[in-house]
Amino acid sequence: MAKPDHHTIVAALIELLHKTLDQPREIGPDTALIADLGLESIQVIEYLCEVEDRFDLAIDEDKLADVRTVGDLAEVVRALLRN
Amino acid sequence: MALFDKFAAAAGTRDLLGSLPVNPTDVVIERVLSASEAIVCGRPTIMAGTNNYLGLTFEADCIAAGQRALAEAGTGTTGSRMANGTYRAHLELEAELAAFYGMPYAMVFSTGYSANLGSLVALLGAGDAVLLDSEAHASLFDGCRMSGADIFRFKHNDPDGLAKRMRRLGERARDALIVVEGLYSIRGDCAPLQEFAAVKAEYGGYLFVDEAHSLGVYGEGGRGLVESEGVLDQVDFVVGTFSKSLGSIGGFCVSPHDVLTLFRYASRPYIFTASPCPSVIATTRAALRHIATRPALREQVWRNAHQLYGALADLGLSLGPDVSPVIGVAFRERDVALRCWQGLLDAGVYTNLILPPAAPEGGSLIRVSVTAAHSSEQIETIVGAFRDVVARHAPGCAA
Repeated sequence: MAKPDHHTIVAALIELLHKTLDQPREIGPDTALIADLGLESIQVIEYLCEVEDRFDLAIDEDKLADVRTVGDLAEVVRALLRN
Repeated sequence: MALFDKFAAAAGTRDLLGSLPVNPTDVVIERVLSASEAIVCGRPTIMAGTNNYLGLTFEADCIAAGQRALAEAGTGTTGSRMANGTYRAHLELEAELAAFYGMPYAMVFSTGYSANLGSLVALLGAGDAVLLDSEAHASLFDGCRMSGADIFRFKHNDPDGLAKRMRRLGERARDALIVVEGLYSIRGDCAPLQEFAAVKAEYGGYLFVDEAHSLGVYGEGGRGLVESEGVLDQVDFVVGTFSKSLGSIGGFCVSPHDVLTLFRYASRPYIFTASPCPSVIATTRAALRHIATRPALREQVWRNAHQLYGALADLGLSLGPDVSPVIGVAFRERDVALRCWQGLLDAGVYTNLILPPAAPEGGSLIRVSVTAAHSSEQIETIVGAFRDVVARHAPGCAA
């Protein structure tokens, strides 16, 4: 099965973020998960669980150390899917 | 960024809380009157936020045991268990804890925090996989992080989410560590331990349960949720604290695995800490005997829990899903929670205020805990105080 590309992953991540957030927000690949959206730590964990389930992945938290934006997270997901 | 600049956020929090009539993080217990009352802000106050579930802090024989130990063995051990800090009483307590749980191995730590930290950093290392509940206590997260293991979080109390992650780990699942709590101390909800044990049975791995808030309260013999759920023989490590039902300070780990005896050589939080002082060990041993021999204490704390939970539910407050001795009352608005907490304190009821990010789902909580030492009249006073503050600050219901 073809692996989703970066843009497809970004679109899925944004869709899941809209479900996580209480209020509608403008979100793009450069949106920062914490600095821009103000996600609390528990919301980040729950969101990542949704991401894992969407892509059938297990994401080790260490892989997220440099993740700041939606685009950064998409790259992590893409790399894990490749492996 | 300068070294001290990182404290800007902490300073903001301090200034916000400091602007309140009473800073919730800076409450001073001026004088303790009993296991359920103290002088706070200059007036007698019902202590409804202590986690002193069995009310043993003023038990006469516990105090006498502590006084005897002070007189006979001095104020402190002044050393690590690996050096001059192992007294016979430490070993006797470990033997008593092992016997209490019916497990062959037990280890005592200086605090509950260090019991979790010390056990996890001994068990886990780089390349290991640990599956951690999303609402697990900070000490569990810190231990996992400090170990260098790969951390995979699953949604709170979600056995299906755990199972999915175990499946995705493939072969690694067989050696993975599953870390959960028994009773969660923020909302007072219980882990589905039977279902977690079933996931372990299907995929392999090891199950680690922190029973800090469940010891003494759950189970026919007071052994915690692992006993009441009938999974004691399926759990690999049970960790607990002495600072709740046992009324002192310290922590422990018990296990059927003899590897626990090697934690002593591999756990830096255990090795590089002074051991618990003799009076603490003595009061803990005496309190453990109460847990083991006085089911009436458990029956009383449960009567109190049902009375309080039922009355708070009747007020229309948003409570956790389970009746338990720790009850989280949820508020959507932080300011409403703050005002209600302050109102309760003004009415002579001390509770715990839990603000984001410590509170789940972005809300705020007032945490109330009952003890076997509370009288029915004190519970009624707590409920009356809630009724008044909610009517004043959160009319139409809190959540």
